Amino acid sequence: MKRLLFLILGILIVLPTTTALAGGPPPKDLLKGKFIEIQEESRTATFIKDGAESSMTLTFGEAMTADDITLNKKVMVSLDKHAGEGVIKDVSVMFMDMTIMRIGALLLIGLIGGLLSGFIGSGGAFVLTPAMMSLGAPGAIAVASNMCHKFPKAMVGAYKRYKYGQADVKLGLVMAVTAILGVQIGIKMQKFILNSYGNAGSNLYVSVVFVLVLVLVGGYVFYDAYKSTKEDGEPKTSKLALRMQKIELWPMMEFKVAKVRISAWITIPVGLFTGMLAATIAVGGFVGVPGMIYVVGASAMVASATELIVAFIMGCWGSIQWGISGLIDIRMTLLILAGSLIGVQLGALGTTYVKDHVIKTVMASVMLIVAVSRGAKIPGYLADLGLSSQLQPQMASFLNSVSFWALIAALGTAGIIITAAMIKGMVQAKAEAAMQEVAPNV
Amino acid sequence: MKQNEFEKSMSAAAFAEAGEHDTAKEMMTNNESQKSNKQSLKEKKPYGKMVIFGAISLSAYIALLANQEWVTETFTKGGINTVWPIGAAFFFSFIHGAFASNFLSVLGIEAKK
Repeated sequence: MKRLLFLILGILIVLPTTTALAGGPPPKDLLKGKFIEIQEESRTATFIKDGAESSMTLTFGEAMTADDITLNKKVMVSLDKHAGEGVIKDVSVMFMDMTIMRIGALLLIGLIGGLLSGFIGSGGAFVLTPAMMSLGAPGAIAVASNMCHKFPKAMVGAYKRYKYGQADVKLGLVMAVTAILGVQIGIKMQKFILNSYGNAGSNLYVSVVFVLVLVLVGGYVFYDAYKSTKEDGEPKTSKLALRMQKIELWPMMEFKVAKVRISAWITIPVGLFTGMLAATIAVGGFVGVPGMIYVVGASAMVASATELIVAFIMGCWGSIQWGISGLIDIRMTLLILAGSLIGVQLGALGTTYVKDHVIKTVMASVMLIVAVSRGAKIPGYLADLGLSSQLQPQMASFLNSVSFWALIAALGTAGIIITAAMIKGMVQAKAEAAMQEVAPNV
Repeated sequence: MKQNEFEKSMSAAAFAEAGEHDTAKEMMTNNESQKSNKQSLKEKKPYGKMVIFGAISLSAYIALLANQEWVTETFTKGGINTVWPIGAAFFFSFIHGAFASNFLSVLGIEAKK
């Protein structure tokens, strides 16, 4: 058993030589720097790349005008390789101005995202990245800044839940290492699909996998939570997990907090699959937590706490990669963190007042609503691929707003269920304590 | 006169046997309430810690936003400079995390024991 742990730690040390990221690696053909001059007649602009002494001349892309270029502000430039050398495809300002409204929005989203994370182990990422983008951050910056806020948040949440005796460190390590390997496989698959079917094909593939996984897994978790509310509310190990635990195949692993003894041949595929999906749909936790519950046999309480350890390790590794590419907007990261560090601790202590099935209900509700959000994008991608007729502009904007508001609804619903369950639990605990004070011997 | 635990329970038992249930109960609950008084003294709310960590955290945030030009420039140079954002994330998570934890305790929101 110790040998296995050493092996895992060994892999963790070797892994930095590879690239492993949830949500894919940082983009490579990006230029970062400042435009210092525009020559409108020749449709070119003078650009100084970060770290370079001399300037270079870049040509406007077809649809571009001089207004698309901001002078003397740090920008990200993506080049159109097919159009020739140094032709600009797209320019985006890297750092938006922090207005009071934006600061307030980041604090609030952080708080609710953190609450969710502390309670069900994952979540927040699926809404934070689009939210940052709608506040005006470029996509790559939003992904990087989100990832950099995820790991300290997960660390604080994991520490709290470890103190409550809910987190299984060993299971977390095994899951994280195998998930990082899974991410590699996931990225390879993504690249294959991107090369074969282009951007629209890749988007369609991601959305279909996203919706299928979330509806199937979320639906099952919901059914299971409903079933256990009907019964006595006590968590029961799933039949599948019980069967898996009976397989005596070397090496057997024992997870003390999760109270599970299971073959590594079962645990490793769960982690690999989590990583593969994390690379595809960027929310591995939605598979990792149910995987730990229904295949490995941990309770929802332990699985959601352990997921925070997984998120910490994977997030830390991912952030280093995005940091090396220089894409983290630390202001956004830290402002979200301000809210989410309060939220994550609130969510973590909230779990001590609720039963297992409440955690499952929250997780399932979020998964199903997020599935609606992504599902609303599928008709657009189908049209892009030419598999169905083009969408009417009104229809397209309607579907876009459905997608956006479903995300907000997912956060709101989760926030309400968690807060209500926590208040109910606290009131109950207070009443019990008062009863004990009146009649100490009862 | 100070009575020890044993004497107290014995005299309460004597009252109870004599049919004086109320007096017996009062003696025992007195005992309990003293205990809980002591406990609440021990569990004093961490106002001091909250204020200290809150002040450090707030000044760090003000420093960050006041120097945002320099910060965003340095933190996104890439390469080895990745230690800046990662280090900052760790620093803020300790300082602001400690503030958040004490803040929740002051509000009286604690985990179930």
